[in-house]
Amino acid sequence: MDLLQILVNGLSVGAVYGLFALGYTLVFSVLGVINFAHGAVFTLGAYFTYLLIGGAVGANGLLAGFQLPFALPFWGALPLAGLGAALVALLVERVAFRPLRRRRADPLLALITSLGAGVILVNLIQLLVGAESYAIPTGALGGLPASFPLLGARVRTVQALLLGIAVLLLALLTLWLEGSRNGKGLQAVAEDAETAQLLGIDSAAMVRLAFGLSGFLAGVAGGLVGLSVSIAGPYFGIGYGLKGLAVLVLGGLGSVPGAVLGGLIVGLAEAFVPADWSGYKDAVSYGFLFLVLLLRPRGLLGRPLPTKV
Amino acid sequence: MDAALLEQMLLGALLALSVYLPLRCGQLSLATPGFYAVGGYVAALLSTGVPAFAGSGATSPLPALLAEMVLGGALAGLIALAIGGPVLRLRGIYLAIATIALVEILRVLNLNLPFTGGAMGIFGIPQPFAHAEGYVLFTLALLALACWLCQRLEALRLGRAMAAIRDDELAAACVGIDTPRTKLIAFVASAVLAGVTGALAAHFFNSWNARAGSFDASITTLAFVVFGGSRLWPGPVLGGLVLTALPELLRPVGDLRLILFGAVILLGPLFFPQGLVTAERLHWLAARLGRGRHRGRQAPQAP
Repeated sequence: MDLLQILVNGLSVGAVYGLFALGYTLVFSVLGVINFAHGAVFTLGAYFTYLLIGGAVGANGLLAGFQLPFALPFWGALPLAGLGAALVALLVERVAFRPLRRRRADPLLALITSLGAGVILVNLIQLLVGAESYAIPTGALGGLPASFPLLGARVRTVQALLLGIAVLLLALLTLWLEGSRNGKGLQAVAEDAETAQLLGIDSAAMVRLAFGLSGFLAGVAGGLVGLSVSIAGPYFGIGYGLKGLAVLVLGGLGSVPGAVLGGLIVGLAEAFVPADWSGYKDAVSYGFLFLVLLLRPRGLLGRPLPTKV
Repeated sequence: MDAALLEQMLLGALLALSVYLPLRCGQLSLATPGFYAVGGYVAALLSTGVPAFAGSGATSPLPALLAEMVLGGALAGLIALAIGGPVLRLRGIYLAIATIALVEILRVLNLNLPFTGGAMGIFGIPQPFAHAEGYVLFTLALLALACWLCQRLEALRLGRAMAAIRDDELAAACVGIDTPRTKLIAFVASAVLAGVTGALAAHFFNSWNARAGSFDASITTLAFVVFGGSRLWPGPVLGGLVLTALPELLRPVGDLRLILFGAVILLGPLFFPQGLVTAERLHWLAARLGRGRHRGRQAPQAP
């Protein structure tokens, strides 16, 4: 494999990590906690996409043989799957986060409640559609070829799409955060929820907005990964969830460009691991994470950690 | 209840105490399953590969088990000592994520090192006890020892220093507590306990692989402590016993089992934010029991 091929592989995987970490970071910036149900929402996005393009459920699970009466093209299915995932993320916020906030409980408890929500979602998927793997056919892309040549390397169309969509979503998110009223409201709540509330910003609505957006990003990422490497079963989001965590800290907790930069760095680093050492590939991101935490705990693009007295 | 389930519950309680020790001085470490896996591999490798530990046939001598537990605990403790200094400078969620990363790094190493048996792990670990009942008695003794040490800690200067750090680290440092050293002691003690438990568990389960120390296990053991209560040692013990038994007890509901387990983890912190065991509830229980004994003395039952 030549250098360009490795670069393309790394960047496209990194784009998914980045999209994933963006969802974490949105929720973290407003609530200061990690949403451990994020991986399950990502998984759901992949299954939603599969169903919406007209895929049939396998022989196991309660929904055996189920198929939607219509089949959308991938372009229509992906945003809808993102919306579905956003609704699930809002539900997670409602049951696992809001009651804790209302009781002013220790925010760290949200680690546990969100994980409980994730366990429920993952096992619900298994109950409904079984544990087998599903592949989204590349034919779902319509007339696009499966791969195209670029400067002597062969690039899978899916890889280019992953990268393109991630960059597009990042650009839209940054524009929205900096330029729109709601985006600024979200930033204000991230800075200080109580003060923002006093200034007339509906903090609860901003939290819902953060969860909805994070769910949408996760759902889209799930659909894209499902298209790229197939859905390996209800648990397949967990590995991405952990990588996303590493990416999140690498880029800086709460930093939007940091999440994407971290994702691309981890993706590239993994792509450069030689084939003989591929077993150790999964450790690369955590090794990075460890180094960054020890040398620069705020992450690459994070703000300095305040010391509160 | 069968002895095998009881043994798993006791192992769960030991792991919960291992998560509780750093939490006792305010440090959320999720590294316990990593150290548990390390201890298990030490026991598995020694008892299947070194003749002095292996004993004859499928049985292994009790002194060998004890030696493996010491060595497994020691290796886990050494790893904790080596990384504890820099890692424990991190706070809150950063420390939690760093320890998740540690568990994942150890898991990948366990999967890929040339001598740990790959994904299949290590099989045919000899048994020091003929029946599960033997394990139960032995583990019960270990758990009692661990509980006694935790109780003892409450009265010691070290235990008080840990409590002071949990309540306010800066204030604790200001009154002259060596906070890095105290946190390191709690972290290493947690690792040693997890390593010792792993060495015992490897024998009990008869085989050992990298799945023993995974992210899932990190969260499950944390759930033990959150569910039972993180302020007093009976909390994690109760949480470990109950939550280990729960998936097995829910087996009759079949496929809904893990969904219900998730619901318990989700709802537990909402309804019992302090966990099941709190100081007030313990006092209430002690008062009830005391009153019962008192009444019993006043009106002795007729034979």
